[in-house]
Amino acid sequence: MNSSFLGTILPMLFDGLKLTLLISIVGILIGFVIGSICGYLLQSDHPIGKTIASVYIWIMRATPLMVQALYGYYVIPKLLGIDLPSTTVGIMVIALNSGAFMSEIVRGALAGIDPGQKEAGVCLGLTDVQVMFNIIVPQAFKVALPGLFNQFIISVKDTALLSVIAVNEITHQAQAYAALSFKAIPTYTALAAFYLVFLSLLILLQRFVERKVGK
Amino acid sequence: MSESPLISVRKLQKSFGELEVLKDINVDIYPGEVVCVIGPSGSGKSTFLRCINQLETPTGGEIRYKDQVINSKGADIRQFREEVGMVFQRFNLFPFKDVIGNVMMAPVLTRHKSKEEARAYGMELLKKVGLESKAAVMPRMLSGGQQQRVAIARALAMDPTALLFDEPTSALDPELVGEVLNVMKDLARDGMTMVVVTHEMAFARDVADRVIFMSDGYIVEEGPAREVIEHPQQERTKAFLSRFLES
Repeated sequence: MNSSFLGTILPMLFDGLKLTLLISIVGILIGFVIGSICGYLLQSDHPIGKTIASVYIWIMRATPLMVQALYGYYVIPKLLGIDLPSTTVGIMVIALNSGAFMSEIVRGALAGIDPGQKEAGVCLGLTDVQVMFNIIVPQAFKVALPGLFNQFIISVKDTALLSVIAVNEITHQAQAYAALSFKAIPTYTALAAFYLVFLSLLILLQRFVERKVGK
Repeated sequence: MSESPLISVRKLQKSFGELEVLKDINVDIYPGEVVCVIGPSGSGKSTFLRCINQLETPTGGEIRYKDQVINSKGADIRQFREEVGMVFQRFNLFPFKDVIGNVMMAPVLTRHKSKEEARAYGMELLKKVGLESKAAVMPRMLSGGQQQRVAIARALAMDPTALLFDEPTSALDPELVGEVLNVMKDLARDGMTMVVVTHEMAFARDVADRVIFMSDGYIVEEGPAREVIEHPQQERTKAFLSRFLES
């Protein structure tokens, strides 16, 4: 590996990494909001909200992420007559996809809390909202945390699939470079190393947070 | 009693689908009174208690608190629950809060007390139930009896006008029952209005002013505690109490 190779590939991969990080973080954050709302609706007795959440989750779980990306990039903007940049579509796909899986995690965590906890809260005169945020959420969050982190990790890896809609994330950058330079082995080795380092940091963060919350 | 009742229950009915659990319950609870509700399992005692603060929604009838109907649409049940506390069979402490955190939470959230004020009052209440040394301990480290005493302190932190007890000692090991009953006796002596669903006949006889015997969704017999427990008039009550009276 000579220095001119590294001098070309590393800036490209770092550029891609920035976009991967942007899409992952923003996508997952929006996905977490969607997942929290839908997870709540799923275990509530709100008939309309429950139905909407169920249909959304069904569609997201029953189609591949790559197809969702293609559909979001090539079909939906056409139908709506608008122009969407690939990065925006990428963030939305990650958000909607991870949101669906996080809904199930949130639903399970909320449903797993002993109903006696809510009863104790309302019997002390707390409002439903106070019960939710002061009693249920702190307990459910702890239960949901491993599943949520697992989904974060999956979603970071899923951003690689966005290369099909020409999002210049890190995998797409590596593919472009490998095709031009014919240096597949070092390029993809470098790509794998980037993911390995970034995801290892996320796994370490997971351990840290779980230990912190677990006590 | 010349005073008007604090809680007044009229023609209370509760069904779960086809199953009629409460058929026609009429009770008045007067300020300062200790009322024990006894009866066989499945007689509707707990459902009756849970209908009072509407953890279960009554199917029919009327519940009044200080002369206000509290089970009509638009009635403020939250206000009632702020003023009338509940103690559960399984304690239902908040497992992620330490003991004092459990006791402080509601006054800070609903009464907007400062944390310092709520903590000081909470410590006073923990002293009352004999657990001030456990203030910083997590609930799971406590025995069942200690947890139930914390639950009582938590309910007292709202300065309730009355307390509802739903089989407060039924989940406890036998040797831990006494410490909880003693705390309840102290409350009774201090004049707290209490409605206690219980299987502790000796407690009912010695502490209650009045005993209500329920069976199959009806109140079969009620009267002064000692009279009902020691000289029941109805056959059903006699049959239920026979085991206790023989021992």
